[in-house]
Amino acid sequence: MRRIWLDLLTERATRELAKRTSRRSFLARVGAALVGTSALPLLPVARASDVPDDAALSGNVGDPKSCDYWRHCAIDGFLCACCGGSQNTCPPGTEMSPVTWIGTCKHPGDGKDYIISYNDCCGQSLCMRCRCTRTEREKPIYFTWQNNDLLWCFGTKSRAVHCSVAVVLGVATKS
Amino acid sequence: MLAIVLWATVATAGEPAVDYALNCQGCHRADGAGTPGRVPALAGSVGRFMHVDGGRDYLGQVPGAALSALDDASLAGVLNWIVERFGGETDFTRYTADEVGRLRKTPLVDVEGVRTRLLARAP
Repeated sequence: MRRIWLDLLTERATRELAKRTSRRSFLARVGAALVGTSALPLLPVARASDVPDDAALSGNVGDPKSCDYWRHCAIDGFLCACCGGSQNTCPPGTEMSPVTWIGTCKHPGDGKDYIISYNDCCGQSLCMRCRCTRTEREKPIYFTWQNNDLLWCFGTKSRAVHCSVAVVLGVATKS
Repeated sequence: MLAIVLWATVATAGEPAVDYALNCQGCHRADGAGTPGRVPALAGSVGRFMHVDGGRDYLGQVPGAALSALDDASLAGVLNWIVERFGGETDFTRYTADEVGRLRKTPLVDVEGVRTRLLARAP
């Protein structure tokens, strides 16, 4: 059977790698990566007390595909959870904008206000599923940095907006 | 992973850090890196303004600061926090609410021009 180009490419890359590295160094790097990755959750950041407990929520306030989901109190756009991504991640083929609209939403379970970042996912045309318009703490257009009607695909390769995520950055109030 | 990194940046927030997250971070980003060509970086440059005539005033007059929804005391607090955190400055005269209140009454118009001239003179 004729080998396809991917096989050839993979073989060539593997042989190149084998020429340049010893098995021992490869294993050492894999080991370091495994240890490093497992250490990440242990880094001394305040987590447990600030992580909202989404698993305890039920109904629309706990459904990332709903406009009523608690993190969506100021979202204006299409929910990435309905577009092949999630409330935290962009769908494949889109790029998360580094410039973002940030506000706070109250978690219905613990009553705390959390800092939410509404990053647009950019690079494809509008998703057109799960359109939401909520305006808590939004300001009129003349406060451009607190207005969510704007396209927020700044700093991305494409200005085309596909959908929006709602990432929790931290807790806004300690009480 | 992005969420974890961002979380680590803000989770232990005191008041100025929360004010930064809600009023500045959306554009200047959690690490102060900004977005080249769109939003100036704070990290590595904001401290330089403290060492040039007019630089201190600039930070209180720049539109993102002067026109923010923060009151004078909170704006002074977040400016001090930014200068320390992203400028690496520890030995500087802290902004006060009175000073910031005065500066923000005259926001800059030619922001880019003033910024370029100040940084050209800054050490």
